[in-house]
Amino acid sequence: MLLEVAHLDTCLQLGDQQVSVVRSLQLHLSPGETLCLVGESGSGKSITALSIMRLLPAIASHPAGEIRLRKRADGESEDLLALDQTALTRIRGRRMAMIFQEPMSSLNPVFTIGEQIVEALQFCHPSMSFSTARDIAIATLREVQIDDAQERFDDYPHRLSGGQRQRVMIAMALVCEPDILIADEPTTALDVTVQAEILALIQKLQRERSMAVLFITHDLGVVAQIADRVAVMRDGEIVETGPRDQVLFRPAHQYTRKLLAALPENLPAVAEVPAAGEILASVDNLAVHFPRRGGLLRTVRSVVRAVDGVSLQIRRGEIVALVGESGSGKSTLGRALVRLIQPTAGDIYFAGTNVTRFSRREFQPYRSRLQFVFQDPLSSLNPRLNIATALCEPMAVHGIGASADERTELAAKLLEDVQLPREYLWRYPHEFSGGQRQRIGIARALATRPEFIVCDEVTSALDVSVQAELLQLLMTLRRQFNLSLLFITHNISVVEYISDKTAVMHKGKLVEFGATEQVCGNPSQDYTRRLISAVPRIGAVSSA
Amino acid sequence: MTESTSIAPQPVVNNSRSSTLQLVVRRGGARFGLAWIGLLVMVSVLAPFIASSHPWVMRVSGRVSSPLLQNLTALDITLVVASLMALLVWLLRLPPVKRIGTVAVASLLCFLVCSQLVNPSRLTVYEQYREGLRDGEVEWLIAAPVPWSPKDYLRDFGDTGLQPPGSHPERLHLMGTEENGADLLSRMVHASRLALGIGLVATGIALGLGVLLGGLMGYFSGWIDMLGMRLVEVFEAVPTLFLLLTFVAFFDRSLYMMMVIIGLTSWPGYARYVRAEFLRLRQLDYVQAAIVAGLPLRSILFRHILPNAAAPVLVAASFGVASAILAEATLSFLGLGLVDDPSWGQMLNQAVQSSTFNWWMALFPGFAIFMTVFSYNLIGEALRDALDPLVAENLAAATDARSGKA
Repeated sequence: MLLEVAHLDTCLQLGDQQVSVVRSLQLHLSPGETLCLVGESGSGKSITALSIMRLLPAIASHPAGEIRLRKRADGESEDLLALDQTALTRIRGRRMAMIFQEPMSSLNPVFTIGEQIVEALQFCHPSMSFSTARDIAIATLREVQIDDAQERFDDYPHRLSGGQRQRVMIAMALVCEPDILIADEPTTALDVTVQAEILALIQKLQRERSMAVLFITHDLGVVAQIADRVAVMRDGEIVETGPRDQVLFRPAHQYTRKLLAALPENLPAVAEVPAAGEILASVDNLAVHFPRRGGLLRTVRSVVRAVDGVSLQIRRGEIVALVGESGSGKSTLGRALVRLIQPTAGDIYFAGTNVTRFSRREFQPYRSRLQFVFQDPLSSLNPRLNIATALCEPMAVHGIGASADERTELAAKLLEDVQLPREYLWRYPHEFSGGQRQRIGIARALATRPEFIVCDEVTSALDVSVQAELLQLLMTLRRQFNLSLLFITHNISVVEYISDKTAVMHKGKLVEFGATEQVCGNPSQDYTRRLISAVPRIGAVSSA
Repeated sequence: MTESTSIAPQPVVNNSRSSTLQLVVRRGGARFGLAWIGLLVMVSVLAPFIASSHPWVMRVSGRVSSPLLQNLTALDITLVVASLMALLVWLLRLPPVKRIGTVAVASLLCFLVCSQLVNPSRLTVYEQYREGLRDGEVEWLIAAPVPWSPKDYLRDFGDTGLQPPGSHPERLHLMGTEENGADLLSRMVHASRLALGIGLVATGIALGLGVLLGGLMGYFSGWIDMLGMRLVEVFEAVPTLFLLLTFVAFFDRSLYMMMVIIGLTSWPGYARYVRAEFLRLRQLDYVQAAIVAGLPLRSILFRHILPNAAAPVLVAASFGVASAILAEATLSFLGLGLVDDPSWGQMLNQAVQSSTFNWWMALFPGFAIFMTVFSYNLIGEALRDALDPLVAENLAAATDARSGKA
């Protein structure tokens, strides 16, 4: 046993209160194995990772338990909780290394990536000369498959893409040859194709170095791909541990079963799909270009072609999914459709009318018919207005409801439509969870009685179980109000569950557009094939 | 606006405004600051009642009269009416916009009426009451707590001038007298009006301009922002004190001119804050949602953006009040302030005017200036902490826990 965590309790001091966040945690790691720690947000998985590294802030304490790490020299194990800071610096980096979720902020922007790797290396080996360290760093960069490692050594982090930065982070973690790598959601912020590469890289390095990996994730697809053993966490406790196939295919605990059932591919299929009507909204050869300005006179230096000649039609009562990786222009297209962004060229038609160049006043009647639901549940509601005001104000502007009382009653009905109690009308946004806020966001979009709603990544910030509820709610509302949806997402399983048609975007262009079964099942374009095959799935493992 | 009887009774909501205020008040330092400013406000509103040579009530040859009331100016009455209205409105718990509106309208009406009706004599002979009492013409009188007016130069006594407290046992001057022989305490009391007024009005002007221009710059960006930022830079380059000195040299010395100049030169700071906040908030989803919902520009700017942008500006404003007070004090200290009206800075100036160091002229006004500026800074600091959601949450948790234990 390389690492053994026994009966670990973790408490946080908040004000005068002790909040217990992790209770009686049991974990063990052997050399060369990957343990996946899975759980929804707030389950305590990151806290666990940080407590093993002893990186928790001073407000955290461990009333009970121990974290035993086997020493390299004599095979005896020592309790990390008993070590002081100087002894810990001996452990961190050399015995255990960690990589984090956000590649954009985990590298220091004012040092080159080479300097940062060399610093880590010289910390482990104080007597090592710079040129030796440089050679080792470059070799490690090659090992994590950075192209032109020699030149990249002197680059600053901003010149690297997210995937490359995560590779550099892995290189930094591995350069001192640790026995344990702790990876806290290392691929969550990355696109699926990049995620697939990073996962493959971690697996390859682990095999070559026979490292133990503690991999923290919320994505069961990733678990299926990478794990040897799986531990499922809920509310600070591990509810189930076991070999991967046992946990994923023969789960013993009902919470694990619930998590698996909430995956979009396991959701019950929708009984009948209403027939699509006439074309409601369409874009014709739409282009949105953002000029990059510079210099004293702010002249246009170059142009970013966020959306570049896209044509798309959405029929009444139809759900069209818009898929693509980050930077593919899918959000820009969605925003241009509701005239949040003025298109550079091309036309937008709504109900047969060309609305592209309508003035603010001319477009006003269409505002009520075209709505938008936003991605981030934290920022999509005004923190200073209660829900009643947020729902009633758009109604008043569009002349829905004769009096304030009638509008309040309508708002209460809307809350019931999105399955929230009507008393929530008088609450403020900070009193709600992410899923509840997203429901309120949908209620606000419904307030003006729209025919067409653009949903921009509405479930990507939510846990799977909340996502499942929200997707089912959207399907119900669509039937109830005969809505057309443009559903923007990067999650292919969600697409397969919810949409009738799928449009794939890549670098501002529409790659493929057709019925969902066809696009996802039998893609005709190379890019779509790559995208679909990169998605980690549970089913892929069971058939193998 | 969406109160309704058809919906279940409104549960207790965690109103962010009141809780912010509570958090500010909970801070020890801020409590101290608020107490001092509260005291100053009371003193400045009631100044003519506290310190005046005119007796409250007196009886002359069988006729009872109140010279104090007869000598009140329109401004004195308006201030008292306005503060009474503010108290009343606060007790009635009207919505915030109505509160401010009611007080403003009432004060304006009162001022207009008073300036027509109230007409105190321009030339006051302060000695008449003392002489009357000595001659026995006045049968009895109830004097104000500080029985000296700020411009009562004690012409009936021959030995006046810069004198420390306690130099004349028969006349009580708690803080001594200034160079013309007027009572220092009385002048201190009346000068609090100037200090508060200049701070609030100058900062009000700056805040109004800053929020308006900064908001427009931030929301519309583009060339409006470019022009606005150049204007901001031009105004930031103007040195307030030197501009004040120049104006004093060429025009009349007027309090209102000072307020306007300080206001006109200090708005760029607020404009920058507001612009930055608007730029940030404009991109947030709830503002985008307001645009998608087709809400009018008025609502987007003033309902969805401005309240969320107010936090940093309020903090900056409380520091701004302090610096406006200091600017006036500096000007008066240089001898370029108001000619005859009392001002703390001008009193400080007299501390070093004659060959000796007049400690009482330095200590009392200096202490008042220090306390006021310090108080505003404390309030600003507490506001900053209370409006920062993270700190506020910790503060609330800490105080709740403490009160829970008690």
